[in-house]
Amino acid sequence: MSKTDDTQTATTAGTGAGTDLSSIRVDDPIVEIRNASVTFDMERGESRVLDEVSLDIERDEILGIVGESGSGKSMFASALLDAIVNPGVLTGDVTYHPQGDAEVDVLGLSPEQLRELRWEEISMVFQGAQSSFNPTITIRAHFEETIEAHNYNMEQAMAHARELLSDLYMDPDRVLDSYPHELSGGMQQRTLIALSLVLEPNVLVMDEPTAALDLLMQRSILSLLEDLQEKYDLSIVFITHDLPLVAGLADRLAVMYAFEFVEIGPASDLIGNPTHPYTRALLKAVPNLDTPLSEMRPIDGMAPDPVDVPQGCSYHPRCPLADETCRAEDPTYHDVTSDHQSACFHWEDSAEAIPLSTDGEHGETQAFAGEQSDEPVVSLEDVDVHFDQVSDGGLLSVFQEPDTVHAVDDISLDVYENDVVTLVGESGCGKTTLGKAVIGAQRPTDGTVAYRGQDIWEAKDSRRETDIPYEHIRRSLQMIHQDPGSSLNPNRKVAASLKAPLKRWEPDMDPDDRQERILSLLEYVGMSPPGDYAQRYPHQLSGGEKQRVALIRALLMNPDVILADEAVSALDVSLRVEVMDLMLELQDLFDTSYVFISHNLSNARYFSGKAGGRIGVMYLGELVEIGPAEQIINDPQHPYTKVLRWSTADLDIEETVEDPPLRGIDIPDPVDPPSGCRFHTRCPEAREACTRAQPTLDGHDDGTEHRTACFREYDESHEYWESEPIVDDADDADVAVGGSDSDARTDE
Amino acid sequence: MINNYYIERTAQAVFTVFAVVTMTFGMIRLMPGGPVSYIRSQLVQQQGNQVDMEQVNALVEVYTNVAPDEPLYIQYIDYMAALLQGDLGVSMFYNDPVTEILASAAPWTVFVMSISLVLTFGLGITLGAVMAYIEGSRFDVSTTLVSIFLNSIPYYVMAIILVYVLGYQFNWFPTGGRISSDVATGMNLAFLQSAFYHAALPIASLVITGFGIQALAMRGNSIRVLGEDYIRVARLRGLPPHDIALRYVGRNAILPMYTGMMIAIGFMFGGSVILEEIFAYPGIGYYMFRGIMARDYPLMMGAFLIITIAVVVGIYVADLTYGKLDPRAGSGGGNREAY
Amino acid sequence: MSIEETVPDGGTITGDEASADTPFGTVSSGTMSRRDRYKMLANEWVIAPFKILWDDWRARVGTLIILAYVLMGTVGVRLVDPPRVGEGDRLVSPFEDMSHPLGTDNMGNDIFAQIVHATPPMLEMIVAGAVFTTVMAVVVGTLSGYKGGWTDQLLMTFNDILMTIPGLPLVIVIAVILEPRSPWLVGVIITVNAWAGLARAIRSQVLTLREESYVEASRLMGISTPQIVMKDIMPGLMPYILVNFVNSARSVIFASVGLYFLGILPFTELNWGVMMNLSYETGGALYTWETAHWLLAPMVTIVILSFGLILFSQGTDRVFNPRVRARHTSAADPEEGDEDMSGEVATHIRG
Ligand code: SF4
Ligand code: SF4
Repeated sequence: MSKTDDTQTATTAGTGAGTDLSSIRVDDPIVEIRNASVTFDMERGESRVLDEVSLDIERDEILGIVGESGSGKSMFASALLDAIVNPGVLTGDVTYHPQGDAEVDVLGLSPEQLRELRWEEISMVFQGAQSSFNPTITIRAHFEETIEAHNYNMEQAMAHARELLSDLYMDPDRVLDSYPHELSGGMQQRTLIALSLVLEPNVLVMDEPTAALDLLMQRSILSLLEDLQEKYDLSIVFITHDLPLVAGLADRLAVMYAFEFVEIGPASDLIGNPTHPYTRALLKAVPNLDTPLSEMRPIDGMAPDPVDVPQGCSYHPRCPLADETCRAEDPTYHDVTSDHQSACFHWEDSAEAIPLSTDGEHGETQAFAGEQSDEPVVSLEDVDVHFDQVSDGGLLSVFQEPDTVHAVDDISLDVYENDVVTLVGESGCGKTTLGKAVIGAQRPTDGTVAYRGQDIWEAKDSRRETDIPYEHIRRSLQMIHQDPGSSLNPNRKVAASLKAPLKRWEPDMDPDDRQERILSLLEYVGMSPPGDYAQRYPHQLSGGEKQRVALIRALLMNPDVILADEAVSALDVSLRVEVMDLMLELQDLFDTSYVFISHNLSNARYFSGKAGGRIGVMYLGELVEIGPAEQIINDPQHPYTKVLRWSTADLDIEETVEDPPLRGIDIPDPVDPPSGCRFHTRCPEAREACTRAQPTLDGHDDGTEHRTACFREYDESHEYWESEPIVDDADDADVAVGGSDSDARTDE
Repeated sequence: MINNYYIERTAQAVFTVFAVVTMTFGMIRLMPGGPVSYIRSQLVQQQGNQVDMEQVNALVEVYTNVAPDEPLYIQYIDYMAALLQGDLGVSMFYNDPVTEILASAAPWTVFVMSISLVLTFGLGITLGAVMAYIEGSRFDVSTTLVSIFLNSIPYYVMAIILVYVLGYQFNWFPTGGRISSDVATGMNLAFLQSAFYHAALPIASLVITGFGIQALAMRGNSIRVLGEDYIRVARLRGLPPHDIALRYVGRNAILPMYTGMMIAIGFMFGGSVILEEIFAYPGIGYYMFRGIMARDYPLMMGAFLIITIAVVVGIYVADLTYGKLDPRAGSGGGNREAY
Repeated sequence: MSIEETVPDGGTITGDEASADTPFGTVSSGTMSRRDRYKMLANEWVIAPFKILWDDWRARVGTLIILAYVLMGTVGVRLVDPPRVGEGDRLVSPFEDMSHPLGTDNMGNDIFAQIVHATPPMLEMIVAGAVFTTVMAVVVGTLSGYKGGWTDQLLMTFNDILMTIPGLPLVIVIAVILEPRSPWLVGVIITVNAWAGLARAIRSQVLTLREESYVEASRLMGISTPQIVMKDIMPGLMPYILVNFVNSARSVIFASVGLYFLGILPFTELNWGVMMNLSYETGGALYTWETAHWLLAPMVTIVILSFGLILFSQGTDRVFNPRVRARHTSAADPEEGDEDMSGEVATHIRG
């Protein structure tokens, strides 16, 4: 070990970076990374996507690595397995320490040795579980071929695989016999984790393993991960863009910016006393449930380009503390404490310059609902939306019995002027469908949707004049889509996309006025110079810019209600607050209401909370709780809302990841929803009565805006209080998880 | 879901055959002058002007299974009933039952076409996969160019060149027939040899002009699959390279080839009309051509029907194997777009 | 609030609703001349696509070849006299006598003249067939995909049956029934069911495009369906359509020449297939080397044209790629290179 260190110090001195290695060393490292760099040759020059990184991973620790997209964190993950994709070149040293004194120079291994090291010693979980499996072979085949390739005892290893699968709350037989596409996203991701652990590795590298999943599923997986780590003595490297997510899980945290680590330290220290200006900015930018709304701030500026990293400290163009030294010299690590390092010259001053309140006061409530009107703009009454699963066209699909998905079931909702309603829930809960029903983009199978008293669909179908013509309704209800990538026509320039609505609704407008109006709007949302942006194609815009254009396009219609469907979810964390702020600012200007859809309670709280709006919680097509934003966040009533609240990680590191307050991880099949209260298959408070009758939002009117569809809100005379609690058989955990609604259903 | 897939495909095949049969019925009635006037004119030639209309109709019914003096729906039912019994009418030119003529011809066409199909795709897939693995190499670039060039030659042009040069000029290959006249029919070596010898040029003309485009398709698919995450994960999992090449790249890259395969089945069987004529190879296409030239409607339509049915069956078989290969088939997630 | 007040008033937010500082009140200060606008359009629709084509060697060679045939069919027929019986000696070999560059046939007709004068009807046939295929496929595919429901089911059932029937025999049967003489009609008959496969493919593309957010956004903005199809759906299909247009042109050549060669289509005009037929059947070309040029000339003509078409189709999909277009329409776009690059880096990082 000392030998390695000597050579390392020598190399480091040579590079002039002056990294003080003693500071990032731990007592019992399982993997040591020294001066690891990854470069790509590009036409424009050398692109350095990992820049002289050194770090130790301690045995049996969970190390959280946090960085925004493009910060080089995935490169770091690949470097640990010497698995950089061509034509990237990895230099530096990676040393693996198995048990005892042995050490393995990972980069110097022969292909065969490397093949053995991977998966047997160090293994990896990727972000896209779906794309990590071969779609044409079963899950069992994946396990078996892996075991076979490494000459493990098939029987023992398969037994281990089964154990892992049930540890992860799944039914091993069912999963093993499935093809990848037959599993839900959360199951795929958990299966991938089991697959990565089947050869009992010592180190597990997880690259954004949960990013594509719902928060609740992410949190559930995290809590399982903690169990696995203890059970199998794993060292875990958890890479993510989501600081609050790992904060509670990780022992140590390392923050990446511009292809290097800027701050490393124990999780509690790093969250409690962040010293690098970037870490502090990041903490402020991330929407969460605790930071007072007024304290959240977007980070100005953009992350640097790998070909052209700024001289000196790479953060200086965005750093409020930057001075001449920062611009000239690259800062080395400064010890904050013996195990907490910060790559910043002015770390001692950062706390003062960038104040941060992490004391998490909950009391803050905003004045509720000032400017709402009496009459709703849009009002939904008993709306149902059921889908028949689509056929592939052609012969015979006519004869197939279609499966009906109950996307929205019997929901009534009013949206007022200047209102903000946020709908939250897991994917597949019907929140997007409900949102689309509100803006008349989805015809309800039953119930009515009215715009200022005029039934929208009647207006559309009727040939006679209606009170409000359909055309007016149509332009009054607009939408901003989730995926910035597809929200703009890739074949049209920004100007053309923005002109289309104007041409439709103001055909007489002078073309030059049209042009000017578009340019000034672009300028207004901060896309400057507008003339340049107008002539771009969507692929020449960043995600945030695309969403801004989509926002302008919607606003050009001067709508009354805008549906924002996960409009910020695809953006980088630090950008979300910025775009949400812009949306709220424009609301003031244009007198619009928003229906905001999010799977993320923090975003919901930020958006609804700041505007004094409401949050509605959806589960399997039903609205289970609705009320003022801060009340839903701080005083959730419905057991499901409490679960969501639990799943939304806060920055409170004291709170370790505990077991989910849920009896099952996976959502039941919406084709065949559970009887009675739909949540009863997973609800920790469920009693026998819940399987029979369905609670409603109005069942127990206490006159407030905050309504909850749960029998626990009903008064004591309700049969719920008398009936037996539902207890799952402990040995049968996977049955409860696998959607066991059928056995709990009453036969009438 | 999987079961639905098979049921649906089977029903689709049956329905297509039914639709084609109905169409043939319609077309027979549409023929210019049609069989009726054709037969009448034949009789006129034989017997002078005194033609008995009933006699004509009776003859027409014998040849085509359609009795012209019956109401339309009766004609249709009769026609269908005859077909179901395997009766395709009587050839006016050969004066034999069409079914008999075609039954002896069909195996030969199927023989040539299935070998061509297997070779075209075998060669195309192998070559394409190799090209993808060494993408950008000189071999890849030159093979691409050659493939494009070969694909721009119509198969019958290749057939003419082959028969002209290797058949007539050098006499290396026969210029007609299924087997040599001196070989006895039966499953003996000499018979097989002779059969392959006679089929070699037709097969070659289809394969040479056909494999290139399949190789290019396979190359494209493989390159796409090679970029997939699961290939990378499989490599990290330490799977042996040949496993990855076969089970991962091969399998996933071949699936989209099915569309091309089904088009090729129709293309090749359909092309038998031209090909078998050039090589004077008495298969279904050859007889169809004879039927056309002699205005022998029953033979022509019978051959058309049999070729179509052969294609339907070919596609059906391909569909079934596709269902075996792709677990997503039928659940809406398959990546085969056409058919 | 009364309904009248809040119903959008046709769009212009004037008066106090839009204060001076909102960008909605903006009017233009300068005007763009009509000329400039046309220039811009020309640049976008003519010059830029051509430049893109020219950038790719395959497309360049393909374009040149196709251009040569078009010239042959338009200008060529004016420059070269139509072939006459006995204008030269019989069966002159090619490249011997410069007045008959490709030699003559057994009746003393000039072969080069035959090839040139067979070009116009061939081009007509190709255009007719390719246009018919493309239009049918686009109409059926788009209708089926965009409408869905019963329309879709009916069209696709019909489509699937058509698709299964082998093309050539069907064409032969129809040709026998109709005995077409006009090249335009021949082109259409030859592609009578060739469009079905393309229609299916377009349908599935439309199904995907229909779900794109920008299409829904257009719908919600009240833009009419034809407009959406033209502006939002079509551009996405264009590369596909163009490639298939070229491919169907090629299959029209293959099939028509084949049918003329077999003598199934009535010999009304000169055709490369007819030339092949005559040399093959009457010339006894097969038994001697002397007539080889008579047989080979039309075959080479076909192969070169179809080679050109394939090359062209391989290069064309780039024309509609916005990434490539962006590079060509606006020269002054410093950011653009960065964008491509960061995309590239992102893939590397993600991978
Ligand atoms: S070194 Fe300077 S520029 Fe860099 S983070 Fe610290 S204060 Fe900011
Ligand atoms: S009604 Fe019963 S099952 Fe439903 S949420 Fe309330 S306690 Fe849980």
